[in-house]
Amino acid sequence: MIELENVSKTFGGQVALSNVSLKVERGDMAFITGPSGAGKTTLFKLLYLADKPDTGTITIAGCNAADVKSSYIPLLRRNIGVVFQDFKLLNNKTVYDNIALTLRIRGFMEREIKERVHSVLKMVNLRHKVDNYPLTLSGGEQQRITIARSIVGEPTVMLADEPTGNLDEENEKEIMRIFKQINAKGTTILIATHNRMLYKNTARKVFTLETGQLKDEEEE
Amino acid sequence: MFSLKLAFQSIVREKWMNLLSMLSIGVMLFILVAVAIIVYNVEKLTVRLPERLTVMVILKEGVTSEENKSVLAAIKADPAVKSIVFVSKEKALDDLKKSLKKDDFILKGFVENPLFDSFDVKIKSEGIRIDEVKRLIQKIKSMKAVEDVEYGELLMDSIYALKRGLRALGLSIGIIFVCSVTFICYTTVKILFYRHRDEIEVYKLLGATRWFVRAPFFLEGSIIGIFGGVLGSGMLMGFYHYFFRRLVTDIPMFAFISIPLQFLYLLPVCGMLLGLGGSVLALGRLKY
Repeated sequence: MIELENVSKTFGGQVALSNVSLKVERGDMAFITGPSGAGKTTLFKLLYLADKPDTGTITIAGCNAADVKSSYIPLLRRNIGVVFQDFKLLNNKTVYDNIALTLRIRGFMEREIKERVHSVLKMVNLRHKVDNYPLTLSGGEQQRITIARSIVGEPTVMLADEPTGNLDEENEKEIMRIFKQINAKGTTILIATHNRMLYKNTARKVFTLETGQLKDEEEE
Repeated sequence: MFSLKLAFQSIVREKWMNLLSMLSIGVMLFILVAVAIIVYNVEKLTVRLPERLTVMVILKEGVTSEENKSVLAAIKADPAVKSIVFVSKEKALDDLKKSLKKDDFILKGFVENPLFDSFDVKIKSEGIRIDEVKRLIQKIKSMKAVEDVEYGELLMDSIYALKRGLRALGLSIGIIFVCSVTFICYTTVKILFYRHRDEIEVYKLLGATRWFVRAPFFLEGSIIGIFGGVLGSGMLMGFYHYFFRRLVTDIPMFAFISIPLQFLYLLPVCGMLLGLGGSVLALGRLKY
């Protein structure tokens, strides 16, 4: 479902990724770990097609990223849910509107949007916050809203870049519980983190990146 | 519909900047329409000028009856001519005496009738351009039996030069103001776009197409243009009711001026098109 073959990327002569090859099978939940500056975020940018690799091939959600025309990128992104450390919620919109945006972009009817939004809010235990604005919520709650927004469109792949980076232990556990629940429904998940506690006893695969190179691939 | 909602939300959120843009567009469109009204009225005034023109064809001394008839037939056959009347020098003298009234003693000094036989030629009222009148006059002048042609050339040329000048001025002002309105919309939309950059980034991550991202800005530019046009129409209405109508009542010589009220509907449409044009230019080269 996610496959990188000999992927390299440089920025102004500085190597961000060097010859990285990895594979995450359909329905798996895998982790990418490594220190800051190891290339995790660059790898994610390539995966959600915000950037292109200098060399190598990337296959995600059944498409070869190199072959995708720029006009098809939005359509491919609809199959990829993305979660960030800084949430990227729209602070001038309510929780409902933030989540509904994913579906409005796809042209869903308002009735179906309502049903789906309430369903995902129930999954992340935040149904009672539907009319709140993001800045009135805690960090953990905001991250759960971000997750709800990314899964409401039922993507086949989910990418999470340091999803618990700013959260306490309780919230970490809650977020991981939600990820496991999503994964159990068949969504392939790739999580970037440098928190070892997060992937211990969870993942089948952990990839370790260091200075842009894949150092280790271990099965937990 | 969602794009329209986003556009209205953005207009309300950035109300002061948008209001300023609408006001500027309104004032510019009002000035533009004022210039258009001046040009329109001058055009209207001059279009019937040939109709008011009487061309006097003075015949040479001793022209025979046959020559007279041939001149009459040739002028009458011209498509620009409405009517032609022969005025003998005797009738011309009688008319002159009548017009001089008590001052006709001036003519007593003449032993013979100093006037000539002539034709009074009237030009058709519609569809006759001044070039055609000039062509007709050249044609008449070239006739053997014709001594001279008088038609108030200097006045006519001055009026047409004024008309041409006004047209050129109107066109220049029109182009400048159309560009200015487009530029205002362009700048407003560009600023709004950059202010919403983070939001657009999120839209893109969620799979928004280029059209989905751009549509609210196109709509916003158009709406700003429409409201600018409505303000311009409001100013025109105000000018019409509170200034123009009083002016015509107080000074009847300005009664020939007319203000086509179709401009009231035209201004918002122009505003919309210019707003849309400005938005398209603003987002045209951006990568989103």
